[in-house]
Amino acid sequence: MFLTEVSFSIAARSVSTRGFLDWIRRTGICLAFSLIAGCAGNGEGLDENGRPIGEGDGDQPLVATFDSIQQNVFTPVCATGCHSGANAPLGLRLEEGVAFTMLVNVPSAEVPSIDRVEPGAPDASYLIQKLEGTAAVGERMPLDGPSLPQSTIDVIRQWITDGALPPAAATVAAPVATLALLAPWPQTQLSPDEAPPVVELLVAADRALDTTLLEAGTVTLEASGGDGGFDQGNERRIALQVTVTQFAPTAFRLVPAVPLAADGYRLTISGSAPLALADLGAIAIDGDRDGRPGGNYVVEFVSGGAP
Amino acid sequence: MIFDRRIAVLTIGLLAASTAEAEPYLAVRQGLKCITCHVNPTGGGLRNPYGHVFAQNELAARRIDTGDAQWLGQISRVFSIGGDLRARGTVTDLPDADEQDTAFDLDELRAYLDFSVIPDRLSVYVDQHFAPGGSRNLEAYGWLWLGEDRRYYVKAGQMYLPYGLRLEDDMAFIRQVPGINFGTPDNGVELGLEAGPWTAQLAVSNGTAGGPESDDGKQWSLRGEYVRAAWRLGASYNLNDADGGERHLGALFAGLRTGPIAWLAEADYIEDQGLPDDRRRQWVGLLEANWMPRRGHNLKGTVESLDPDTDVDEDERNRYSFVWEYTPIQYLQLRGGVRVYDGIPQNELQNRRFGFIELHAFF
Repeated sequence: MFLTEVSFSIAARSVSTRGFLDWIRRTGICLAFSLIAGCAGNGEGLDENGRPIGEGDGDQPLVATFDSIQQNVFTPVCATGCHSGANAPLGLRLEEGVAFTMLVNVPSAEVPSIDRVEPGAPDASYLIQKLEGTAAVGERMPLDGPSLPQSTIDVIRQWITDGALPPAAATVAAPVATLALLAPWPQTQLSPDEAPPVVELLVAADRALDTTLLEAGTVTLEASGGDGGFDQGNERRIALQVTVTQFAPTAFRLVPAVPLAADGYRLTISGSAPLALADLGAIAIDGDRDGRPGGNYVVEFVSGGAP
Repeated sequence: MIFDRRIAVLTIGLLAASTAEAEPYLAVRQGLKCITCHVNPTGGGLRNPYGHVFAQNELAARRIDTGDAQWLGQISRVFSIGGDLRARGTVTDLPDADEQDTAFDLDELRAYLDFSVIPDRLSVYVDQHFAPGGSRNLEAYGWLWLGEDRRYYVKAGQMYLPYGLRLEDDMAFIRQVPGINFGTPDNGVELGLEAGPWTAQLAVSNGTAGGPESDDGKQWSLRGEYVRAAWRLGASYNLNDADGGERHLGALFAGLRTGPIAWLAEADYIEDQGLPDDRRRQWVGLLEANWMPRRGHNLKGTVESLDPDTDVDEDERNRYSFVWEYTPIQYLQLRGGVRVYDGIPQNELQNRRFGFIELHAFF
């Protein structure tokens, strides 16, 4: 092989490169280098990514899940050297714990009209275009190493086709946004006669939201139709006006377009497809509070009617 | 694992793409500052008329006489252009591989424009990458010298950040690991000082390496260098205050000329916060010797070291490079060499071997 079979002359003797390295080690040149650079680690107690055995999930076969792709591709190939830390090229960090939030539904820096990962659409995902060398801008990735085999890229394609599902909750370093209805206080035990009138709703999140997503498709308010239940088929949808706090995109007001009549109400904020409220990292809210992005936030309250 | 050797022999674009002409060993050998040959005080990119004279008369083994048509990069008194083209053949080998791969690639085609709106005072500068891949802007900034003596300047726009030795090889550990290189320009403002033997820069930028601003934090880059005829010493500090975790960089770098050999050295300390393991510290080092046996020839030997996590033992990596650079005539350089990676044995990529021959044309 090259550098093992191809010989060249060094100091009037012909040696192979691999043999040359062995010669370096044997002759103590490595010792001399070690005064400057130190010899390479022997890898004892480390996995293939150079991390202590047992620190991560260990060696796993490459399958179409984010965790597996992180372990087998993003960490060893992309994050080793380049796409890590605050200086990662184009702001794209691919270390464990942050890679997902950097990829899914996030516009690419080179071609902002294309998301890095578009769930369900691998051909429209910039990540795939960069790995396959078909992107309109820039070089094929990875720069510092052989191109990924198509079989590996196909696994990433499959993960995207499957919806680009997130990693297990334990590996998501960045918390997902959860919501809370601050006013009126969520409750369903009061009768409309006992409850105060509601003129607006105040909802808060525990991290900044992409408030441009607050619209009729993501926020719905329904009246029960007088029976307090929401499975009778007599529910009425109430139009809402959304007002976002200017300096704190973690809270927003929902003002009904008409005064609320005395009734029970259900507010639903979507965290699931096809249109979901998300944070600034394009991660869907954790509406159902299961520790993972996704799920609708549903809360009920009672209004005493217009004052 | 993905390191299937059947596929890992695919072509490496090892030095590909993110390279541009910048050879600090030439500055060390000549005892000059970067601004002597380059328009940019921090080096790289467009050459100034002195740089062209040097390229024609000192760098090349033989100068082809072009008579009165001597190229100095200037279309007019106020408009200058330049460029770099690198095409190379590569061979890649991984340990225990059954086969190797060879390929020819166009690694870089880029052009530089400098429009001196007010000569010696105000300029607009552009560094545009054309290939491989589509066109991509790397630098675009306005640049104003403050005062008649040209001691201070301010730049604003997209630019390479000042940090450490600006080597041509972005894949050198000291360029790749800190993440400040020709592939990661950023948008911001730079204040510079060029006074006697001193050269210094302070830049404030978004800290997104060319990506869109994503938080309120900024990146602060400070670089200072003291240049003497036979030696130089410099230091850099960089803080990227990102929401995802701060990155602190510190570097000491130096150059020394001993007879026909120009030495370069740099040591970097890198600390990342906000990682899953909370905090990671890295050390990177480089020692490079450039020997000019005769005019037009340069033999380059480089030893690099990387400790990717000071809290983990036996994970250190090295890279050894042996490169011959031959400049037969002005504006044409032939390069060839091998780079040997030496890392933990269970990772093939960290033990790859790479050979290349390169044609580098510039103007």
